[in-house]
Amino acid sequence: MPDWKQVVKEHMGKRGLPESSEEEVIAELAGHLEDACENEHAQGRSEAEAGTRILANIRWRKLARAIRASKPGEEKMNARTKTLWLPGMAILFPAGLLLMLLDRAPVLQQLLFLGCMGLLLCAAISEAARMSQRTRSLWLPGFVSLVAASLFLIAVGFVRDPSYFFSGISLQPHNLVLPSYAPGRTFYLTWLLAHVLFGALGAYLSRRAGGTRAARMVAGAFPAILMFGLLGLVVPISAVFFEHNAFVLSHPNNFAAGILVWAVAPAIPVLIGTAPFLKEPDFHRA
Amino acid sequence: MRSYRDMTKRIRSKIARGSGELAILSLLAEQPLYGFEIAKQIGERTGGALQFTLASLYPLLYEMEKRGWVEGHWQANHAGRDRRYYRLTSSGKRQLAPLRQEWRSFFQALDSLAGVSHA
Repeated sequence: MPDWKQVVKEHMGKRGLPESSEEEVIAELAGHLEDACENEHAQGRSEAEAGTRILANIRWRKLARAIRASKPGEEKMNARTKTLWLPGMAILFPAGLLLMLLDRAPVLQQLLFLGCMGLLLCAAISEAARMSQRTRSLWLPGFVSLVAASLFLIAVGFVRDPSYFFSGISLQPHNLVLPSYAPGRTFYLTWLLAHVLFGALGAYLSRRAGGTRAARMVAGAFPAILMFGLLGLVVPISAVFFEHNAFVLSHPNNFAAGILVWAVAPAIPVLIGTAPFLKEPDFHRA
Repeated sequence: MRSYRDMTKRIRSKIARGSGELAILSLLAEQPLYGFEIAKQIGERTGGALQFTLASLYPLLYEMEKRGWVEGHWQANHAGRDRRYYRLTSSGKRQLAPLRQEWRSFFQALDSLAGVSHA
């Protein structure tokens, strides 16, 4: 017979149940599962068969969400805020900061990039026990190797030409993708790589707060969504009122290239980053 | 089409929730019971028509407890294991009669419209 309390704890322990009643809820659910297992056993099923059958029918995320919703008085903030807005903002800030600083001081770009990678690695490693076998054996090592490759690239760049890290960069779309302008290309690639981390961080924070798959995707894709909103809506509308944005009307091709470079392309790495955190964790069964 | 599906889903969900509340209150009016026993007895006594899962039973019980209709306390069951028994409060008892009346009216209305009792 499984240790039902342990099983429930493993599944529900990190899903944001109200702290004051968490232990009690876990004990109550464990008692229910214990009785259900005995009931199945009494009907002629083996204990292992009964346990598997019972666990197969439980949707833990849905259960946790429903219990959280039934005890809203004890929640400090609602589920949407915890699973979508806060994770979204948590990645938007470094993404925005990075964008602001990269133009003037590439050394800060590297520092921020390293910091983000360090934080994300810590988060991923601390969550390793809750990840599925596939995430632990494929996505996490893949992420670690990606981080290592990025670090290596940065290190090589620094050894080759340290002056680059203290130079300014033109952020015109054509300068970012054309092979003739190395600083722009390097910056852009780093920028895109960082979005893998931003996407992963957003989805991770959302999952930790019990977010649905859609919430995790949106939280992870926040920087790309915001850039799309800014470039696709705010800038064209503002062009009507502000002269300095009138380039949108006079250079539609450049503007379309800007959207492609700053909003569409970053959407790909952020979505790649969210991928490992979209699966439900497959816990070890007791 | 989608909004129609959403609407029927919401209605079904409200009906299920309402019927769940009535079923639990009616059962607890007879005697205090713990979660598994509540689900088991409701399943048996309705011939399986009403069935609770973990995700439908406990949130509903906690919601009813928050409203003050039921209260839970830990107590050993017949096998000597601690279980959280729920009993009806006086507020819960007051809810039962109007809820029964509401459902009776609902079925009568549905019957007069669709003849469900003769189906």
